[in-house]
Amino acid sequence: MADSGSPDSEPTTRTLLRRVLDTADPSTPRRPRSARAGAQRALLETPSSRRLSSQTKTTARRRSQRIRSIGKLAHVQASGYLEEQTPRTLLKNILLTAPESSIVMPKSVVKPGPAPQVVQPSSRESSRGSLELQLPELEPPTTLAPGLLAPGRRKQRLRLSVFQEGMDKGLPLSQESRGNADASSLTSSLNLTFATPLQPQSVQRPGLARRPPTRRAVDVGAFLQDLRDTSLALAPPDTVLEDTQPFSQPLVGRSPSVHHSLPCPSHSGAEDAERAVSHRTRSTGPRLQNNSPGKPAQLLAGKAEERTEKSLSMSKVKEAARARGSARAQEPEGHTQVTEAEGSQGAIETKEPEGSSGDCPTSSRRVSPELASSTPEFLQAKRIQGLEPAPPPSTAVLPSEPLEPLSARLPPRARTPGPKACQNPYKTGLSHYAKLFSFYAKMPMEKKALEMVEKCLDKYFQHLCDDLEMFAAHAGRKTVRPEDLELLMRRQGLVTDQVSLHVLVERHLPLEYRQLLIPCAFSGNSVFPAQ
Amino acid sequence: MVLSTTVSQRKHIKRKAPRGFLKRVFKRQKPHLRLETSGDLLMHLNCLLFVHRLAEESRTNACENKCGIIKKEHVLAAAKVILKKSRGMMKAKQK
Repeated sequence: MADSGSPDSEPTTRTLLRRVLDTADPSTPRRPRSARAGAQRALLETPSSRRLSSQTKTTARRRSQRIRSIGKLAHVQASGYLEEQTPRTLLKNILLTAPESSIVMPKSVVKPGPAPQVVQPSSRESSRGSLELQLPELEPPTTLAPGLLAPGRRKQRLRLSVFQEGMDKGLPLSQESRGNADASSLTSSLNLTFATPLQPQSVQRPGLARRPPTRRAVDVGAFLQDLRDTSLALAPPDTVLEDTQPFSQPLVGRSPSVHHSLPCPSHSGAEDAERAVSHRTRSTGPRLQNNSPGKPAQLLAGKAEERTEKSLSMSKVKEAARARGSARAQEPEGHTQVTEAEGSQGAIETKEPEGSSGDCPTSSRRVSPELASSTPEFLQAKRIQGLEPAPPPSTAVLPSEPLEPLSARLPPRARTPGPKACQNPYKTGLSHYAKLFSFYAKMPMEKKALEMVEKCLDKYFQHLCDDLEMFAAHAGRKTVRPEDLELLMRRQGLVTDQVSLHVLVERHLPLEYRQLLIPCAFSGNSVFPAQ
Repeated sequence: MVLSTTVSQRKHIKRKAPRGFLKRVFKRQKPHLRLETSGDLLMHLNCLLFVHRLAEESRTNACENKCGIIKKEHVLAAAKVILKKSRGMMKAKQK
């Protein structure tokens, strides 16, 4: 630690701490007997030390105080650990370990500090807690001196505690008084990791500061525009958009309105279109997501704008209808036309660029289904889908939408996969064995041969069940057991004296079934399956 | 469970036993009887062996006729033989 420099001229953290350490008496409030003498001394020293303390005086005082504190240490260790966690010791540790004029992290600093002094963390926190308790009363350190607490030693400790608290928390001291510029510098420099407010953090580390929501403003505007367009597109002109449900508009009213209004202001501000295009490319994705949550609120926007927008959207619809027959490649054309149309109407609103850009994805979404489908109902349906509150990115919406009309148009396609499975489960099972037949045959087969196989299988099952019933009845049972099956197989000539059932099981069945069928000994003197 | 084993063939054969199907078949045929748990696995084994024998027989018939393809007649002829074999000696004896 450098003891150079006059503390008065440059009130650094270090110097202030030093002053505090010098002036503060080494014991906690809980030990009044030892504190009294020290408090009086500290009182006397404080006004002088804070203002006129020289380095030599400081060091001398510190040395004396260290000796005292060491003695006290010995005493305290015998009695308890509470005194170790005085603010003084803490600050001393800070001074000892912290580098000059650097941001001191209290946790890293304070912890190694008390460690050599065998200080309990609990006592530290208790002392801190006591300090914190005192803090609310002591917010302005300068003002607290006169009237807060009668005993002088309390006052001294209050100051120290306040000081430390100020260093710890940063906010109260920094905000309290400009006279305490040193305190504020202390707080800011120490940057202790309590719940520091945003202000010092932003000052110290701009990267940690929360970003101002600049983008949000744009998105909101775009969202507004988007909302209006969607509301225009969805709501018939008669409907009062006070209902909070965005997509509850009847589709029927749309189609007539689509046709009658065709103010095609396609020749609008080209610059708006360009802006819209740029905006759209930039902020399509996040805006869509921003649009959805605020949509119901924004739905209550002005209707006049909606009407004009609706006319605009109808023009878009018309243009999209024109582009319907063409391939998807013409979609960008529709986009430009749409954006131009939007741009003309966008002049009405202040948030026009974002709005038009926000409109672009919706228009694109509209255009794509229009290209795919040829009915206005589809168009409206797709618009609704496209403006779904669940925010899919427009790119994802685009491919999904054409699929939907296609699937709607071709329902029988869905039925083709697996008819037999659903309608005839018995046939399915037979076909399973027929496939096995063709597998075992290793030769190409006719379809009729396979049908023949299925017939044979059917007969075979009947015989099988009859035989099993016979065997079970012969054994006087009503439950067919594996023994019956084995007997059957023996009868059939599959199981012989040379070839046992287990051999057959191992040959033809997969492992899992083998484990179920063949009893095997396991650990713990257990056999599975149990016999 | 092993759904299918990739043999060196184009087809992927399901090795899984259609236990539900077998149980249903048995129930339909003999509703008054019950089938045990492992019984349907052995039933499946029986079916496999039956089909195996049927296929072998059909292939033999087709090869005898020097056909590269198994035809309906081959299958039919094979089925007659194999079904007779599979009926269980009891019925065969009774016959």
